[in-house]
Amino acid sequence: MLQIIPVAAQAGISGFESPAAEYKQLALDLDELLIEHPNATFIGQAKGDSMTGVGIFDGDLLIVDRAAAATSLDVIVANLNGSFVCKLYDRNSQVLLSPGLDHQPYALGEGDIFEIEGIVVRSVRMHRYVRWLSQCMR
Amino acid sequence: MYALVDANSFYASAEKVFDPAIRQRPVVVLTNNDGCICALCENAKQLGVKKFGPYYKVKGLLARHNAVIRSSNYELYDYLSNKMMQVIGEYAPDQHVYSIDECFLHFDTWQPEAGWKAHAAAIQQAVWQQLRLPVGVGIAATPTLAKVASFAGKRLGDQNGIAVLDSPQKVEEVLRAMHVQDVWGVGKRIAARLENQGIHSAWELANSCPKALRKQFSVELERTVRELNGVTCIQWDAERANKKQIYSTRAFGHPVTMQQALRESLCWHAEKVAEKLRRQGSKASLLTLFTHANPFANTRQYHKAVQHRFAQPTNDTRALVEAASRASVDLFKAGILLHKCGVGAIEIVDTEQEQTDMFAQLTHNPKLMQCMDAINTRYGSQTIGAAAKGIHPDWKMKREYLSPQYTTNWQHLPKIAC
Repeated sequence: MLQIIPVAAQAGISGFESPAAEYKQLALDLDELLIEHPNATFIGQAKGDSMTGVGIFDGDLLIVDRAAAATSLDVIVANLNGSFVCKLYDRNSQVLLSPGLDHQPYALGEGDIFEIEGIVVRSVRMHRYVRWLSQCMR
Repeated sequence: MYALVDANSFYASAEKVFDPAIRQRPVVVLTNNDGCICALCENAKQLGVKKFGPYYKVKGLLARHNAVIRSSNYELYDYLSNKMMQVIGEYAPDQHVYSIDECFLHFDTWQPEAGWKAHAAAIQQAVWQQLRLPVGVGIAATPTLAKVASFAGKRLGDQNGIAVLDSPQKVEEVLRAMHVQDVWGVGKRIAARLENQGIHSAWELANSCPKALRKQFSVELERTVRELNGVTCIQWDAERANKKQIYSTRAFGHPVTMQQALRESLCWHAEKVAEKLRRQGSKASLLTLFTHANPFANTRQYHKAVQHRFAQPTNDTRALVEAASRASVDLFKAGILLHKCGVGAIEIVDTEQEQTDMFAQLTHNPKLMQCMDAINTRYGSQTIGAAAKGIHPDWKMKREYLSPQYTTNWQHLPKIAC
């Protein structure tokens, strides 16, 4: 596979030094903004339309933080009976809500395997086609 | 005090992190062209399957128990290992990463307010919460005793993976229950010799005369005995001693019958060896290059090795690749189903202690190599390298049961049902 390394083009022509050079700062870094606990965070991809009510659409990236503090109502990723699901979790009444169109709440029962994986602290919409994310293998 | 923190069945546990469907099932991880079992989760161990055995022998048994079979997903393990080490490293002033799945912590004179048991539990809890990896924690006065504690946490007592040996009574109790072969630094052979002298348990070893053992065995065993008695002898630098020989060798994905494929594979290994040499600051003066047929197969047998001595010791990828490329001509034999090949640097010098020959023509270019290593570190291994190893190799290792690269490939992100 051919990999492209992005390197800023430089002509190697030197004249007067830019007066702005002294003020050079590190560029803004999206990781810094989107990821609070780097060791405890993973990225997943949303599949389905049950969460459109909170602005999560099919194909969106979910930034899942396993160290974020819980509140009584969170968008979470959980292992529900052997699959990762993203739901709005009402901790007090033990219900998984699907704030999309025509989706019923799911009350957790005794027979369910339910483990919270983490809290969805951000989600990212792709308004245009992204080559990197295409061609899903599975 | 020291702690040893290690992951339980790391490869198998890592497979479960992003795949909740297999968390309750027996998981077996294979290595070496999917030939050998290299890791088993707890459920798989209970089926009576042994580590390092050939897979084909237990294939039927595993299938009957609905076990999950996986090829080694090094990209995933490496990612999770780095994260795990960072999480653990926050719990002590000093950390020494010992292998992909274990590290030592050195607390020196620092003491946790809530006590050592609580500190160990906090580490275990943090790694589980942040990464979903199970770890054990052993805490004691020396690295070797921390290893003993780690053993105790998993095999003795309440087996919750935590043991703190902070009194002579606790140390004695565990050492008495431990076989000498389970002590860190005592191999099978040494254990057999010790048993002949009536030393069976770790406790008996701890009470042996260190000086006598040094004479009879080695200075390492003397250190082990002193460490069992609470005297720290192991320094991290000593532990990280440079390797005296560096090999890269692997079986082909399927038998190779073309010289081109053998050449590409040898060049691939040469590149790996050069990289490893540079990482430890060494140069090779003598290389061995070999290939052979499958000794266990009913096909024509063949084994050939050649050696290449460099005029001047080198760790330049181009020099090693050139030697590998030439060797492929001598090593190849038509009509043989080649099974494996490899490259080894068998005479190594330290770059710092190297004697240079003033008439030698220097063919190496350390700056170019530094630049290459930097690019490969940043953009992933083998981003750039010798073209001689081929671009779409068909000799590559078999990894038929590979899980997705959840953390290193955008296309493999874990899918989450909404």
